[in-house]
Amino acid sequence: MRTGPSRKTPTLGHWLAGLCLFMTAWLHGVAVQAADILLTGAEESPGVQAFVQALSELRPTDNVRFQPLASLPAPGKLPASLRLILLDLPSLDWRLQDSQGPSTLVLRISRLQARQRFADAQPARLSLLWSDPPLSRQLQLIRRILPQARRVGVLFDEHGEFLIDELRAAARPLNLEIVSQRWDNIHDSRPLQAVLKGSDVLLGLDDPDLYNSQTAKNLLLSSYSRQVALIGPNIAFVRAGSLASTYSDQSDWLAILDHLLDQPTSAWPRTLYPARFKVSSNAQVARSLGIEPLNEASVASALAEGERRP
Amino acid sequence: MFSGPPPPRSPLLLALLFSPLVLADDLFVDSQTLPQVLTATRLKQTPAEVPGSMTVLDSELISASGARDISELLRLVPGMMVGSINGNQPAVNYHGTNASEARRMQVLIDGRSVYRAGLATVDWSDIPVAMEDIDRIEVFRGPNTVSYGANALMAVINIITRHPADSHGTRLKITRGQRGINDFYASQGTGWDGGDLRLSLSGQEDDGFDSNRNGADYRDGRRLNRLSLAVSHDLNEGQSLDWQLNAKDGSNQRPYTYRPVFSGITDAGNNSDVVAKDYAGSVRWNLDINPEHSLYVQGSAQHWDRQQVWRACDAEVSFSPELAQLWQLNPNYTERLARNINQFTGPGAAPGTPQEMALANQVLEQWRNGASQTLCGDIDQSARESRYDLELQDTLSLSDSLRLVSGLNYRYDRADSETYFNGTLDDTTWRAFGQLEWRATEHWLLQGGAMFEDTQLIGSSLTPRFAVNYLINPRHGLRAVYSEAIRSPDMFENNVNWSYQVSNLRPSAYGQSSARYFVKTRGPGDLDQEHMRSRELGYNGYFAELGLAVDVKLFYDEITGMISEPLRNNQYIASNANSSRFRGSETQLDWRLSSADRLRLTYAFVDAEASNPLDQQFTSRNSGSAGWLRNWGHGWNSALFYYGDNALNGYRFERVDTRIAKRIAIGKAQLQLAGVLQQRLDHQPNTFVDNNYDERRVMYFSAELEF
Repeated sequence: MRTGPSRKTPTLGHWLAGLCLFMTAWLHGVAVQAADILLTGAEESPGVQAFVQALSELRPTDNVRFQPLASLPAPGKLPASLRLILLDLPSLDWRLQDSQGPSTLVLRISRLQARQRFADAQPARLSLLWSDPPLSRQLQLIRRILPQARRVGVLFDEHGEFLIDELRAAARPLNLEIVSQRWDNIHDSRPLQAVLKGSDVLLGLDDPDLYNSQTAKNLLLSSYSRQVALIGPNIAFVRAGSLASTYSDQSDWLAILDHLLDQPTSAWPRTLYPARFKVSSNAQVARSLGIEPLNEASVASALAEGERRP
Repeated sequence: MFSGPPPPRSPLLLALLFSPLVLADDLFVDSQTLPQVLTATRLKQTPAEVPGSMTVLDSELISASGARDISELLRLVPGMMVGSINGNQPAVNYHGTNASEARRMQVLIDGRSVYRAGLATVDWSDIPVAMEDIDRIEVFRGPNTVSYGANALMAVINIITRHPADSHGTRLKITRGQRGINDFYASQGTGWDGGDLRLSLSGQEDDGFDSNRNGADYRDGRRLNRLSLAVSHDLNEGQSLDWQLNAKDGSNQRPYTYRPVFSGITDAGNNSDVVAKDYAGSVRWNLDINPEHSLYVQGSAQHWDRQQVWRACDAEVSFSPELAQLWQLNPNYTERLARNINQFTGPGAAPGTPQEMALANQVLEQWRNGASQTLCGDIDQSARESRYDLELQDTLSLSDSLRLVSGLNYRYDRADSETYFNGTLDDTTWRAFGQLEWRATEHWLLQGGAMFEDTQLIGSSLTPRFAVNYLINPRHGLRAVYSEAIRSPDMFENNVNWSYQVSNLRPSAYGQSSARYFVKTRGPGDLDQEHMRSRELGYNGYFAELGLAVDVKLFYDEITGMISEPLRNNQYIASNANSSRFRGSETQLDWRLSSADRLRLTYAFVDAEASNPLDQQFTSRNSGSAGWLRNWGHGWNSALFYYGDNALNGYRFERVDTRIAKRIAIGKAQLQLAGVLQQRLDHQPNTFVDNNYDERRVMYFSAELEF
């Protein structure tokens, strides 16, 4: 009997409760839809601006912004719901001050740099997105463009040593032999001579201690004079005279980020090599080494196809 | 796999194509700014694109051969005729011509010609470069004056030493063996920010051949020391400076070959050894204006010093002014008189012009009055030659398919010899050259060029060169080449003023302790250049899957206006009257059978025809080499080579060389022990009848420490 009138005439309380429910649901929906994405780095270069702009255009519903590192509080003081994207190593060092803090995507970091910073103990809440091309992909590139090459020379220093075993493991199924040579002093070219002597191709590890503007000339001229092609380590070297390399550019990384940002942070990988990539080659060098001109796009898609169906 | 609109690619692609600077906006691509190192001007042609035939002797081959001399290495080049005048005078010629005067090839060390300025020979044994300092030898088989200047008549041998940046550390090596072999090498290389250097010292000693045609000891050993310094500086991103200093000092034994003209002379000297010193310095400034344009300026100075003073004996009458006067009038008449003087002492002078007979009778009178006595004196056959050379070469990549190489060259040569030139003689040469390389399509490559040369003593000439390469693909090419080349006669051939001023005469001649020998020879002074026309068809291919490189060539070469008279001081009458023709085929095959085995074969068939029979001497109709190099693992390496010439100056040559080497790591250092065994398969002298070894086999061992 008591239920009748209440069913017919909802009270103000009912209205308020309904409103609250609606508001909560709406607010929750907004929280899921519009993430707060903060990018940071030591400075806001034109390249950074262009990237932030492109990311915000790609995710119009999110709040994408850049804030220079200097203006940020300690990472632990940032809201936990924030999605943090680090664009350089100073920002990573800042982020490492605090084990707490928001989930973080670390861009533009290489395997070597990560190793130097935290050895095997990768801190929690950090997803490392590798900037250096994966070794297996570079080996596949060698297989594809220099099918007769068997002995792959690799120079490394103390920082890159940990990659050699991984490289060997990646080379084995491809029937490639890794000829590794330690190079601790770039002013002493004997290790370079030694590795060139025993290799059909030289694979460059993305180690700025070994592959830099100071060593580029000697590396490229010495290998070229022995008709040994250099593969990698990055696109800058391809322009300087390396035969080819795989690489991921801004458009690749935007697509990868877009995918990651669609997912809850709990689903973010600990480390990730970009599945989207391109191939760059130096046509003049290829011609001079007697190699047919590469169709970069088709080599890249063939490599990607191979990665999808190993 | 990813949602979202595809990223706009085309602007990026355009940016990649047209301006790398635009990429500065891509955060992920342009983290490093690097200079373009392998630019269009630095990159070389593939073997299939080369407008001619090329043989490259790489460092692996050089060390595996066990060769102690550059000339021995050239046995690995098809068509190269390698022989010996004696133990310290190798003779090398491509396809042939005269055995004792191999002077139709250009020989360069790091771009500097070592072809002697005055006497137009290459003293292979005196080149101030140690084998251990050589990185590779590129042999252009065919004329190429457009790229290498006059004298690149039959072939060009380009010896490239190891770059200082590639020779860091210490190397010590000694070699000991039979036949008096005793060599050493020591080098130290180091690098610093923006520079590298290598300093090396080396020495070589051996006894040469053992016995002459009579079985007597043959005096042709050698002993030499060398010093070389190579430095390279990077001045800034686009400029570098390379400089070198080289010196060689040594003595080359020569047998006493003087035969007295007059009868009854039994005294003799015992040698005519040469002290040979070579000095060279060069500086090269490289400038990369941009990736499409680079140039270099190279200046070099060289000095060849050959001191050859030896004691000779003949009759006093050799210094008779009347006999010398008679020689000027009629050398044949004079030679007949001198060689048979005892026949004329009774009857008097042979019939001739009244003036000749009067002089001859005066000579006979002197002979009867005691001028038949033996005199011995010092003959100074020394020569000092200098060369200063300045070259500018510009490489311009006009587009992806068009490249222009052009340049200017100035050279000053001076020769100083009392005996050969009665003092000093000099010459200046100007050259301008250009070569255009046009990649008409993916398959057709057209290359053409010309060189203009003007020398003060000889005059000017223009030589063209054209080549068409059809590239089946980048690794396989067919070629057709037409080229013309010239060789300027050297100062000796054209301007020799040859006479001997003999000093320290004992007893004195006509009261003088220094007097002039009666024979005097003058060069014609109006010689023209030799001309070569060469036609070539060839194929070059690399089968990557097999590791097999093949080159085949057919050739037809003609030399006209050829100066083929031998350089002798009695009756040297040089002229451009001769000609020769060479035709045949050459094959070279380099096969890396596996990562451990390398097989190399060369074969040349050369058919020579010459108006002067001397120019046919130095052509072996069939010649070739075969080599097998193997890496056995655990530091063991072996090499086996066969070299054969069916007839070089009439003598067969067949030899098998074996080298076995073991590399041992001692801490951070590497020790390499090697043994070489050379076994002759024939029983013939080597090129000349006096070049004989007692044993057909020789062994030598070396130990090399690297750290």
